[in-house]
Amino acid sequence: MASSAAATAQPLDRTRARRRAAWRRRRLVLLLMAPWLIGFSAFFGYPLVMSVYLSFTHYDLLSSPKWIGTANYRYLFTQDPQVGEAVKNTLWIIAVMVPLQVVFAFGVALMLARARRGVGFFRTIFYLPALAPPVAATLAFVYILNPATGPVNVLLKHLGIDGPLWFQSPSWSKPSLVLLGLWGVGNIMIIFLAAILDVPRHLYESAELDGAGPLQRLRWVTLPTISPVILFSVVIGVIAGLQYFTQAYVAANVASGQASQAGDQTVNNLGYPEASTLFYPVELYQHGFRYFNMGYASAMSVLLLVVAFTITVLIIRNSRRWVHYVGAAK
Amino acid sequence: MRRVGIGLLVALVLGAALVAATARSSATAGTSGAKVDNITIWVGWSAAELKAFKGVVAEYDSKHSDVTVKVVGGINDDKITAAIRSGKVPDVVSSFTSANVGSYCNSGAWIDLKPFLSKDKIDVNMFPKTSQYYTQYKGKRCALPLLADVYGFYYNKAMFKAAGLTSPPKTMSQLTSYAKKLTKKNSDGSIKVAGYNPFLGFYAGNAPDLSAYAPLFGAKYVDGSGKSVISKDPAWSKMLTWQKSLVDWYGYKKLQKFNAGAADEFSASHAFEIGKLAMMIDGEWRVAFIGREHPSLDYGTAPAPVDDAHPELYGAGYVNGTIIGIPKGVKHKDQAWALVKYLTTDSHALAIFSNGVRNVPTTKASLTSPDIKPDAHFKTFLKIFANPKSTTTPITAAGNAYGSLIQAFAVKWQAGHAGDLAKGLQKLDKQIDAQLKQAQAGGVP
Amino acid sequence: MSTASVPVPTALTRRKPPASVRRRRFLMAVANHSMLIVAAVVFLAPFGFIALTALMTNGQALSSHLWPNPFRWQNFVDVFHQAPIFRWALNTMIYACLATLGVVVSSIPVAYALSRIRWRGRNLAFGLVLIALMLPPVVSVVPLYVMWAKLGLVGGLGPLIIPNWFGDAFSIFLLRQFFMTIPEEYLDAARVDGCGELRILATVVLRLAKPAIAAVALFSFLYTFNDFFLPLLYTRENPSRWVLQIGLSEFRSLHQVQWNLTMAATLLVMAPVIIVFFLAQKAFVEGVTLTGVKG
Repeated sequence: MASSAAATAQPLDRTRARRRAAWRRRRLVLLLMAPWLIGFSAFFGYPLVMSVYLSFTHYDLLSSPKWIGTANYRYLFTQDPQVGEAVKNTLWIIAVMVPLQVVFAFGVALMLARARRGVGFFRTIFYLPALAPPVAATLAFVYILNPATGPVNVLLKHLGIDGPLWFQSPSWSKPSLVLLGLWGVGNIMIIFLAAILDVPRHLYESAELDGAGPLQRLRWVTLPTISPVILFSVVIGVIAGLQYFTQAYVAANVASGQASQAGDQTVNNLGYPEASTLFYPVELYQHGFRYFNMGYASAMSVLLLVVAFTITVLIIRNSRRWVHYVGAAK
Repeated sequence: MRRVGIGLLVALVLGAALVAATARSSATAGTSGAKVDNITIWVGWSAAELKAFKGVVAEYDSKHSDVTVKVVGGINDDKITAAIRSGKVPDVVSSFTSANVGSYCNSGAWIDLKPFLSKDKIDVNMFPKTSQYYTQYKGKRCALPLLADVYGFYYNKAMFKAAGLTSPPKTMSQLTSYAKKLTKKNSDGSIKVAGYNPFLGFYAGNAPDLSAYAPLFGAKYVDGSGKSVISKDPAWSKMLTWQKSLVDWYGYKKLQKFNAGAADEFSASHAFEIGKLAMMIDGEWRVAFIGREHPSLDYGTAPAPVDDAHPELYGAGYVNGTIIGIPKGVKHKDQAWALVKYLTTDSHALAIFSNGVRNVPTTKASLTSPDIKPDAHFKTFLKIFANPKSTTTPITAAGNAYGSLIQAFAVKWQAGHAGDLAKGLQKLDKQIDAQLKQAQAGGVP
Repeated sequence: MSTASVPVPTALTRRKPPASVRRRRFLMAVANHSMLIVAAVVFLAPFGFIALTALMTNGQALSSHLWPNPFRWQNFVDVFHQAPIFRWALNTMIYACLATLGVVVSSIPVAYALSRIRWRGRNLAFGLVLIALMLPPVVSVVPLYVMWAKLGLVGGLGPLIIPNWFGDAFSIFLLRQFFMTIPEEYLDAARVDGCGELRILATVVLRLAKPAIAAVALFSFLYTFNDFFLPLLYTRENPSRWVLQIGLSEFRSLHQVQWNLTMAATLLVMAPVIIVFFLAQKAFVEGVTLTGVKG
């Protein structure tokens, strides 16, 4: 296939050579794409089709799937006592955590961009928590926020404040998870920092000549220039929010630890306390992999798929603007 | 140039094949081994209790040269269910949660033991009635009892003496007033010693599905037709009102902080064992824990106090048990059955194990076996077990999923988030009935 | 920290500003740095608390004392006696290394085909990659679990590793974006020398794309090292296949909330990633930046 350039040089066999080159090229593309083609069909296409099929069945993996029509969907939309809670919690975490993370990361990045000394040092510190494995970070936070003996409430007590119950209270459990999310905000922060430092100097200078103050420069120069990056991090945040699982699972398990007997299932820890950390994926896990109602869990997957797909399409439709923007800035 | 591409592809396929091969070989490893059969048993016990169980199994091992038994501890129902679904099962499984027997029998996840029982001519009447009940579902027997758990009352005698109290409380109002007397606070108002901690979710006696309290109020779960009657039986609202009033006396937040500062219930720093809790409802196993961890603790045991209006209930308590069975898809069925039979029916084995973990033995013969080491505290629990008014939770096709619904409501209730009690209980009844209907129809839980 | 490759912005204008402006700027800088220091302390505090608790006695960990007294270094020895941490670490390494290798090997050719070769359907294929990238993997876990259960692979690491050998959407995306930035002249020069596409990929592109490949490998390693959900699904009931994250999450129930030991284990699980970070900090920061700016 090395000779494709040489082949075109011979005018007599041009068409045949071209056809052969085209065939070779197709074979080459097929070869290069092979892993993904297999992977996409086996681990993406097939599960999607299966999900839809299974969602109309009762299937417990013990006997073969039994067709039950739309019963799963009817239970999901009208009867399930917990799924509403799960949807609400998921929306809450997306609506609160994502904007807070973006604003917080932007603030830190801005401070870093303005620092004159020790940028590398500070950047390392702010990035480190993002590396901490979620399980480890969550365990640590449940300990640090222990209402009775955790360092945070102990310090608050010295200040004369009666600290909240954090992970033990339904009104504080999600804010505690948000704190955990803010701590691990390093990835977005670094992206923001790079984008802010990439803003062309002359834009600031001309703004200053026009008499713009620091806040105005932030509003009219920095923000518009890095808006594609902000949008990008919002997208990533929303997708992450839709699959928020590990932190919620570990926090509920550990925080409810007081009662749980080793191996006692009468205590249902998922969502502790009072289903306040029961997010959609947690509920899906519960139905699919604790009760093994594969049919019902599939119905839940299909619903999530539709929601996620809608969001994806909306984003791709609107993306033309900002993707182009990045290309121009580069 | 082509070589590069082929090399790449070969590497890819090889890599995948390698991974698949290692994964598969590890999967089939357990089934090989022709002459001496390895059989695996999963149990929930851990630490010292696991050691005691291994002792019993070692005795079996030495008597049976054809098999080697491997014991895996620390198992819970999630793991059992996952293993059965994944198709890679141990030969024998056991669970602490007898309430799940309904779903195990109903779904066929644990196989029917009837053929084995009739082949070996075992009469299930050798087990006490309660234990017979929680090891079957609608006559389908997929489990046998392997020791039982009985809930009773523990109190710290030294603290009773200091407070001028002489005998354990017999009614709920006595329990309440004793609890107030025995509670001590720190200078900042936080709880130093809790007289009695009624917080749902705090240790096993306060299991949030209220299972340990139901027999003490004589509360019924279902009527004759299997419909949930939690809103109709006044015992439930009485129980919840009593529980909430005591929680409120301490203060919800203060109790939460007390709980958060208390050590785990299976650690040596258990609040009752280190004197941070004066009274509690707990299982009989605590006798063995205290004996191991704090032998000098001056404590007493008694039946738990009961509803003031029903003094005749005194002496009864909540009973459940460890159940043992054979999962679907097992390879060495006969060897598995032989082990199950030995563990559940052999008086000597039951007695030895009961001595080790101080759980209640579960055959009529072993209850009175001379092998059982006498112990004054343990005797209290044997009596509660024998009391005809002692009850366990109902066995349903949905396992103990109804317990999760009760828990969801009760936990909201004690936090003051449940609103009107009567309305809440009516809604709870509806949820439980709907859930059960779905489970029976083979639908969603 | 030595790699402060990010240019530090100097004053905005080159003309020397009047004294009052300079003073104001100086004060602003002081305020900015003070805030940075406070933020840094807050960010580091959790690590500090973990480390301190890891050195306490069990009783002290559940008290309101924040400073270990005495320092109990023995905890880090006890952790290894209490739990099979080496076994977990070995499983984690098997998972992370094999998966990372698979991702790199399988994603590079795909990314190349999607960026430097023109063919009909390329845009469609790339669109599908984007969709795969955007959809939460949670939606496909149920049928995949059923599939692996039918193949008898549940309970092992196979279901975790194998999919990585068939291209990973994120890595394909990242590599493609990077391949696009390679100037056509380099490739043309190679073509003139008579190289085929595969040779170009294996020599020119791979050499130029080293930072992107390093980033992909790092991300994949980090992701699998930290992964909890899939190991939970597939190895929950088989402790001999547990990875560090599962072991750590079960550690507490195995050891009845001995918080001092739990925090010691937590620290041990955090350590490898942090060490890798300090060894490859530059690649990390460049990689993260790549995801954002090129996105």
